[in-house]
Parts: sequence; C-alpha cells; structure tokens
Amino acid sequence: MLFILEDTINGILMGSIYGLTALGLTLIFGVLKVINFAHGSLLMVGMYAAYWAVTLSGAHPYLTLILVIPVMYLFGYYLQDIVIKPIFKAEREVREPITVIIVTTGVWYVLDNLTLLIFGPHYRTIQANPLRGKMLEFGGMLISVPKLWGFFAAVLTAAAVYVFLQKTRMGRAIRATSLDREAASLMGIKQFKIYNIAFGIGTATAGIAAVTLVPFYNVFPSVGVLFDIKGFIIVVLGGLGSIGGAILGGMIIGVIESVGPQFMAATWTEGIVYGLFLLFLFVKPSGLFGVRYDW
Amino acid sequence: MTRENLEKAFLALVLMVVFGLPLILRSPTYLHILVLLYLYAYLTTSWNLVGGFAGVLPLGHAAFFGIGAYTSTVLYVQYGVSPWFGMLLGGVIASITGIMIGLPTFKMRGAYFALATIAFGEGMRVMVENIDHLGPLNLNGPRGLQIPPLNVGLANLMFINKEPYYYIILVMLIAVLALTYVISRSRLGYYLNAGGEEPEAAMSLGVNVARCKLMAMAMSSFLTALAGSFYAQFSLFIHPKSVISLDLSFEIAFIALIGGRGSIVGPVLGALLLRPVSDFSRIYFGATLPGLHLIIFGTVLILVMIYLPRGLQQPLTRAYQRILNRLAQSPR
Amino acid sequence: MRILEVRNLVKVFGGLRAVDGLDLTIDEGQILGLIGPNGAGKSTAFNCIAGVYPPTAGDVYFYGEKTNSQKPWDLCSKGLARTFQIVKPFASKSLLYNVMVGTFSKTRKRGKAEEKALEVLTSLHLYAKKDMKAANLTIADRKRLEIARALATEPKLLLLDEVMAGLRPTEVDEMVAIIRALRDRGITVFLIEHIMRAIMALSDRIVVIHYGRKISEGTPKEVASDERVIKAYLGEDYGVS
Repeated sequence: MLFILEDTINGILMGSIYGLTALGLTLIFGVLKVINFAHGSLLMVGMYAAYWAVTLSGAHPYLTLILVIPVMYLFGYYLQDIVIKPIFKAEREVREPITVIIVTTGVWYVLDNLTLLIFGPHYRTIQANPLRGKMLEFGGMLISVPKLWGFFAAVLTAAAVYVFLQKTRMGRAIRATSLDREAASLMGIKQFKIYNIAFGIGTATAGIAAVTLVPFYNVFPSVGVLFDIKGFIIVVLGGLGSIGGAILGGMIIGVIESVGPQFMAATWTEGIVYGLFLLFLFVKPSGLFGVRYDW
Repeated sequence: MTRENLEKAFLALVLMVVFGLPLILRSPTYLHILVLLYLYAYLTTSWNLVGGFAGVLPLGHAAFFGIGAYTSTVLYVQYGVSPWFGMLLGGVIASITGIMIGLPTFKMRGAYFALATIAFGEGMRVMVENIDHLGPLNLNGPRGLQIPPLNVGLANLMFINKEPYYYIILVMLIAVLALTYVISRSRLGYYLNAGGEEPEAAMSLGVNVARCKLMAMAMSSFLTALAGSFYAQFSLFIHPKSVISLDLSFEIAFIALIGGRGSIVGPVLGALLLRPVSDFSRIYFGATLPGLHLIIFGTVLILVMIYLPRGLQQPLTRAYQRILNRLAQSPR
Repeated sequence: MRILEVRNLVKVFGGLRAVDGLDLTIDEGQILGLIGPNGAGKSTAFNCIAGVYPPTAGDVYFYGEKTNSQKPWDLCSKGLARTFQIVKPFASKSLLYNVMVGTFSKTRKRGKAEEKALEVLTSLHLYAKKDMKAANLTIADRKRLEIARALATEPKLLLLDEVMAGLRPTEVDEMVAIIRALRDRGITVFLIEHIMRAIMALSDRIVVIHYGRKISEGTPKEVASDERVIKAYLGEDYGVS
C-alpha cells in the first residue's frame, strides 16, 4: 500500500513538472489561439542550454536559471516575431490560422534535427551533479529530491505567471488580447507585441522546466517529442488557457504514469493517457478549468 | 494545335514515359526508389481528399496505412488468404474506422481536430505494440510480422523483381489521381470545398457539411489502407513503428501541404520534389549530416507556408499554363 | 397559401432572451419586412427559422410543416433559402463556382448545374464577372452574389438579412429592383432591413420587433405612423405631436 502512496507522490511531483512544461503551451494558446507544436523542441533547447551552462561553468544546475530564462525568453520572442507573425498577417480574417500549426511543426523538425546535427544523438547527463539520485526519506517512502524541487519550481512559476497576468499592466494587456484581439488593439494594445511577449514568457517557462529536468532527465535531441505530445494532452485536460489547469492536468498524467505500471504493462499507461485525452476532447473539450471557447 | 489537344498530348507523353521507365532503368535500386516515390504520391493524394478538399488537418493517417498492412498480412501469413482480398478487407475496416473517428472529431475546431487525429494514430500504435494476439490473430506486438517470399505470383501480390510492383503502384496512383479529378468536378467536390471554406454558407445552400466530410474520410481511409497492404507485400516486413508511425502521418501531411493541398497535382508534385531530396540527403549525407533531410523539410515547409500558401504547385501550374498557351498560339 | 408561420418564438442565450415570444405569418407571394432597433432579435429570429439553431420555445411552420429542429440543408431542399448579414462568399472561388454550389442542390449533373448557374448569374447581371474570384468583388456585387447563390437553390421563400447594408443609394435602388423582380418570379421574400426607404417601398406588410417581441404590424404607412414604433426607435421621451 505504501508503494502506491510513494508512487502517487512521485507521480504528483513529476506531474507538476509536466504541468510546468505545458504551462507555456497553454499560455500561448490562450493568447494567440494557436497550438505551438514546437513547444517540446523549445524545451529541448532549454535543456541543452542548461546542460552546456552547467558543463562549461561547473555551476549548480539551478543557478543556470539566470542564463536560461532570459535566453529562452528572447528565443521565443524572436521566433514568434520572425517566423510566426508573417502567417498571422497573411491570415488576418481567419479566426484560427491552421497554417500556424503547420509552421510550428516545421520549426519542430528544424530545431530537433539541427540539434541532432550539431550535438549528435548521444544521451547526455551532467557530470558534476549535486542532485544525482538524491532521495528524501519521508515516513518510510523515498521521494526524489530533484523532482521535489521541480514541484516547487512549478507551483512558484505558475503562481508568478498568474499574478503577473492579473496584477500587472502588461498582464492585463495580454489577457485583453486573448479575450478579444480586435477590441484590445482598438484600445491601443499592439497586438503583435503582445504575441511576441506571450510567446517569450511561454518559452521562458519551458526554460525553467528544462532546468528542473536536467539534473535527472537525459538530454538528447528528440527529448522534446515526448513532452510535446504530453503537453497537448495536459493542456486539453486542464483546459486551454488555464494555468492552474495545466499544473493539475500534469499531475493527473504524472500519477497515471507512476501508479499505472503497478497494475499493467507500462506501455499500456500510454494508451490510457491517450484514451483519457480523447475522452476529454469528446465530452468536455474545454477541459477541467478551460476558458469558455465557443464550440 | 488547340490548347485541349496540347494538354492531352502532354498527358499521353507523361504516361508513355512512366510506363516505359522500367524498360530503361533496369537497376532494382532505382526501381525501388520509384516504387516508394509513387507510394508516397498515392498516399498524399489520398490524404488530400480529406486534408485538402475537406479543409481539415488530419495528422493520423498512418493508422489507416497500418490497418491495411496488418489486415492483409495477418490474413495472408496465418490463413493463406490472398493479399488482394486482404487489401480490400483492410480498406473496408479502415473506412469504417475513419468514419468512426470522423463522427465526433469533425465538429471540432481545427487545432483540436489535428490533436485528436494524432491521439488516434498514436493510440492505435500503442495498442498494436502491446498486443501479441487479437483473439486468434497473431499480431506479434513490437516485433512485427514477416512475410515469407514464397508462392510468387500475381494472385499473391508477390514478385521477385521490382517491375511488377512498379506497375501496380503506378496504376494505383493513376487511379487515385483520376478519382480526385472526377470528384473535384462533381457535386461532392464542390460541396467539400464549400464546406471547408464557409461551412455556414454551405449549409444554407443545401450542403450537409458533416456528411460530405465523412464521405471524404471514408474514401481517403479506404485508399490509404490499400497502400498499406501494397507496402506490406513489397517490403515483406511490417512493424508498428514503421507502418503506424507519427512520422509517417506527418510526412504525408507535409508533402501534401508543401505540394499544395486542395489541388489535384499538388500532392504528387510535393512527393516528386521532396522524396528525392529526402532520399539523396539520406544516402549521401546520412552518416555525416544525419537528419539533414528533415531540416530541409522543415525549412521548406515554413517557407512555403509563409510565401506560397497554396503550395509549390501554384507557380509550377502557372508556368505550365503559360507554356501551353504559348505553344497553342504559335502557328502550325 | 400560408408559407411561413412563427408561433410564440422564444430564443434564450445564457441569460439573454434574444427573442421573447414572436408571432408572424407570411403568405405566398408576399414581401414581408422585419424592422426594429439594433439588438431587437431580428437576425436571431431569422436563424431560428433557417435552422441554424432550434428555438428554445415556440414553433416554426414552413408550408404547414413544423420545422423547429430541422437543419439548414434540409430546409434548403424544401425551398427555404437565406443570405447572411455579413456576406460569406467562397472567396477563393469564382462567381460561377459559388453559384454552382447552389445549383447543385437541384441537380447532380455538373453540366446542368453549370447551365443553371449561368442563368442565375445573368438574371442578376453578374454574367460578365462569372470567372472572377469572389474575393475581388465590390461589396455591392458581393451582396448580389449572396442573393444569386441563394436563388440558385430555387427557393420558394427567401430570407434576406440586411442585403442593403453598406450600399450606396444608387446600389440600394438597384437592389430594390432586383428584389421586386424576385417576387415577380413567384418567390416570397422575408427581409430584414435598416434602410427605411427601401423596406418601406418594397414591403407589402411590415413587422416591427423590439426586445424580441412584435410591437407593431401592418402596411408600411400604418407602421410608420404607429407611436409605439417611433418611440422604440427614437426613445421613450420622444413625444408625437
């Protein structure tokens, strides 16, 4: 019985990290109304950035946040500005430019394979890892320390983004644009600037997630793919545009993944996740906390 | 010569070339490449019925490919049933599956539909990877199924040389292109285009948009499954990662998009242009620059979507029309 | 013959009662006008009648048949066609293509559909532009295309939703002539309009709707002098001397 509790807790912790990776995705969808298929690749870029920052400077993995956050923010900002904005401009009237999905998938392919080309397919882990295998003992259960830190990072980041959106001027501008981009631009809010910023923030949160993952997750060119697909599922479960929903959705996936293998082959849990995903798509597409989006 | 006759002459020329190619190119390697090229052209053209005409973005078509491959293979390997029959049965199963998938998902908005098709495709792959037996049928999970190259002959879609395969897939491709042409000029074609562009207006004009999309999906999935059976008989080995893969689903969609979805020749042009690039970069750069073809793919995709949203067929078709016009005018 | 009957139509969206008990009838061959201040519920009523969404309560009868939850495409085959307030042409296609989508509702054969479409285009003076892309049309022509498409389905009742919005006065006059010609062909017309002189000139009868209910009905003259109508448009404080 204790195993199940331990698994559940570790599942929640890992799940919150999943949620953190999906946070940027839900933010970008909420504001731009597009699903960024390249999000997993952005996470991968963040992981490589963190990896190299640690390997070259010998610093503590979490210290790399200082570098990774601004780098990722700028990367996302300019990616949106240079690659994605032209599509928006071309499809002005279309409510949901499907072409953006296609373009972001192109970005995914390019990023993943460029990384493969430059860094090779090797699985990398940081050498001087102060967090390697660290476990916390708690009531007879073993809890993974890096995952615990990841949990805190996830909750803090989610809270920070939430507060930013609710309380700051820029945050309100972002929310206004996401509700009605035309009305917002009539109010003087520069639509594309908001998009760039939202994309930047979304990518930066992926960077935070990347930093929390590097201590215990292998770094390789296609690492983003798993997180990408999981990210979509989480975002639908939690509700597109909902920050709390992303974290909660992530935790649900995390628990299924860690508790599931107790009862069935690990690969079947993958099937269950897809099944749950489809169920939500059919029954409650707006997810658990989704913003009302007319269907 | 009139414009129309010129076009017919051009078509006849193309047909002569493709049918005569195996007589000139005797190398099995080249024939193999051509077979796969035609296969992709076939797949993208079939995909186009839903992704181009119906205006949605299905990203899970490999599932139908896999259904075709597995149906004919299992029936042939376990029960000795002719792959032709297996092919048809696979097509029917895929068609029904396609309709079942389409019923709930066509109501969804674009991005959600795309995600749902991905989930279906991946869900199917997970299922097949985990099941060794489906009742009495042996699926062999991730290890895949091998087809022993015995009983050569047309009845079993099994040949030693590549030439018969070449001709079969060529005929299939021509058939599917002809079908696309006929549909584009038919009521269904008009209705699909209308429903894809302005569903509300189409509905007020008598178009049952959902039903038309389902018809397109049924056809598309049927045809895609046929290709799956063909592929199984051609490569003699199938496993989930090769026939029900996300990569395949994406590749089909992207080639069609780059070539120009919604047009008749777009998908074929896309395959004709991109597959050789893919093959060459893999053969010559595979070791030194792995994944180069995908970088090229991705970059071309991005550029085409930004600058040529109707696909590469747009400038090419225009050039073709201009040349034809010029030739038709010159005194004869 | 009563072609359309609406009884106590109610349509509620969340907390908003867009249509709140509307009654009206149209006889064959009539031109019925529907006017009312903005937000009165006119387009909503149209949408309920045209099958875009079912009424929350009340009934719609088309040729005596209850059609509450029927879909637009079925209603179209029964002879009910409509245009949209914000025009929705198939922008990437030619005018001929656009109209053919309509004519295909009456025939499966492409040749026949094309033939009929050309006839419709001619009757609306759009033949010269038949191969133009719909996206390149002026707003006046787009409105005409909208009518042409609906006409192509050979309707018995045509619902026109603000077809004159955005047109210049000469274009409005042309449109009035077109609509009169439609009636001459035997089509019953039910139109929503804000351009008063047009709807007054066209309609045999007018229904005035305010806050989702009928507040007046009669000939254009009767309605124009009805105090309730004046108050609805100009406000309660406006007194009629």
